[in-house]
Amino acid sequence: MSVATGAAARRAPGPRVRPRSILPGIEWSTLAVLVATPFVLATRPELVTLMTNILILSLLAVSFDLCWGFSGIMSYGQALFFGAAGYAIALVGRDLDFSQMWATLPLAMLVGAGLSAALATFLLLGRKTPTSIFVAFGTLTGAYAAERLVAGWQYVGAGNGLSSIKLMAFGAYEFVEGVAFYSVALGLLIVVYLASRVIVRSQLGLVLAGMRQNEERLAFFGYRVQVFKALVFTFSGAIAGLSGALYSYHQGFTGPTNLGPGLSTTAVIYCLFGGSGTLIGPVLGTIVVELLSYVLADTDAIKQYWTVILGVVLLVVVMFQPTGLLGLVVSSRERIGSFGLRRRPR
Amino acid sequence: MEFAIKFAFDIMAFTSVMVLIVLGLGVIASMMGIFNFAHGELVLLGAYTVYVCDSVGIGGWTGVILAPLVVGAVGLVLEKTIIRRFYATPIIAMLGTYAIGLIIREIIRGLLGGHYKAIPEPLSGAFVVGGLEFSMWRSFIIATTLAVILGCWLLLTRTSIGLRVRGALENPMLARSCGISTGRLYALTFAFGAALAGLAGALIVPLYALSADIGIRFLVQAFLSVMLGGVGTFEGPVLGAAAVGGMAAGLPWVVSPVLADPLVFVIALAIVRLRPQGFISVGRL
Repeated sequence: MSVATGAAARRAPGPRVRPRSILPGIEWSTLAVLVATPFVLATRPELVTLMTNILILSLLAVSFDLCWGFSGIMSYGQALFFGAAGYAIALVGRDLDFSQMWATLPLAMLVGAGLSAALATFLLLGRKTPTSIFVAFGTLTGAYAAERLVAGWQYVGAGNGLSSIKLMAFGAYEFVEGVAFYSVALGLLIVVYLASRVIVRSQLGLVLAGMRQNEERLAFFGYRVQVFKALVFTFSGAIAGLSGALYSYHQGFTGPTNLGPGLSTTAVIYCLFGGSGTLIGPVLGTIVVELLSYVLADTDAIKQYWTVILGVVLLVVVMFQPTGLLGLVVSSRERIGSFGLRRRPR
Repeated sequence: MEFAIKFAFDIMAFTSVMVLIVLGLGVIASMMGIFNFAHGELVLLGAYTVYVCDSVGIGGWTGVILAPLVVGAVGLVLEKTIIRRFYATPIIAMLGTYAIGLIIREIIRGLLGGHYKAIPEPLSGAFVVGGLEFSMWRSFIIATTLAVILGCWLLLTRTSIGLRVRGALENPMLARSCGISTGRLYALTFAFGAALAGLAGALIVPLYALSADIGIRFLVQAFLSVMLGGVGTFEGPVLGAAAVGGMAAGLPWVVSPVLADPLVFVIALAIVRLRPQGFISVGRL
């Protein structure tokens, strides 16, 4: 059959066939793999630790994706919320000797949300509409300034950061690295994932999708575009804060680099590599990038230039495959998806 | 009084370098409408060129002369291969140029091995005027910057290339239909901006220790200067650079240095937020 007849067949009128959707399959299989991981790796505790780290970082990647992939805010500042929340729980552990997770994790989210709301108010809201370049540079500047400030501040350990953070606890139980911590991280990732999914598939998500397509037109329709952006930015800040708190508890350490543009860049790479604009993309991106870097870290020649390789990957993705890894298998139509309550097909 | 003069001199030397960086960033931004996130790393590349020349023994002077040429050539290659794909999508260009910056920074970090390197001033010593000592190298920086600014201004206002540049800036579509190859102009502009960044890196590196992370500092400061001054003008970025450079050099005398550095950014960001069009809002070059 020639190409021409194939094209003709596609255009032929007839009952519309819904293309098979792939995303739910990917989501479910990722979940199955992640649930199975601790059982498979029961004999390799260091790999469970690695996977826990990956889950925590994929929270950060999801938070970046909400900004860039869903609302078009280029945020180099996700690490700012991540790091600030990490410092907050470290200080609470040190000065108040308190690390109950039912209180500190919400606190971390509050710190992240508060900071991002403040930054969003400053950068996005106001009488004059800012350019997206200004917002990008504003977040970069914020992260850079915060890193410099913390690196010179003795109370928070200056350049050395804060080490031996009090372990995360629930009642009398203390979480060390291992399966228990992994389960907490996975549980929280699932909760965050579902919450984000509800948001981006709701009517709010429809506004965001319209904003990405044509911000000006949405503004003419009467939507206050910047307010929507600020809302999403705040929500993503809360997630980044949660991620940062878990990361600090898990590592037992937090330092100025956790606040800076470097880590934000890593989040950008995870998200774009996996596929921005889908929620599962950043999770897959984090898993693939981190696993690759773990496997390749044994080779000294590669380890030294690993970041260079990541940079090249980012460049290639931006230039040739803007929809990332997932874009190879998922059609744009499914990527953008549908919004609001599910309707029964007529 | 003596102190005030010395202080003003130091600020001027630092500001001069900022002016070079900002001029490069600003000319690219106003011509092609993209903000080059790799600009800080081009400064780093210029600094690294001087370091390489110094360490293989052909002297710092050769490095200072080579740096703009090398970085300009790198800029030209980057424009021809990568940057030109981004002109239609300025937002994606941020990501692309950021990735380029990341690659350059990490390669240099690997080559430096994570150490700080100090480079001696090619022109050491000082001269005395009216009982005050002035560093030779800093005077050279100021003189070079003034020469570059004068050269740019003459190029833009007195030559036919400058006329074409101004035309392409005013109305790219009309310029193209008049037979001006804007593609070639854009390539030249990018190479020129990169060369300025390289020169700035070469001039500043004897005053700073060379490390892979100096780029981002200059990028943030230069961006704020461009925004302060206003995009699309010639004097704007220069004024902005003077303001940011003056603040960066002056504030550590007023508040503690730890606080001063972030404070510069916050103040500049706040001014830009309140006055997005910059000091000079008329779009002329």
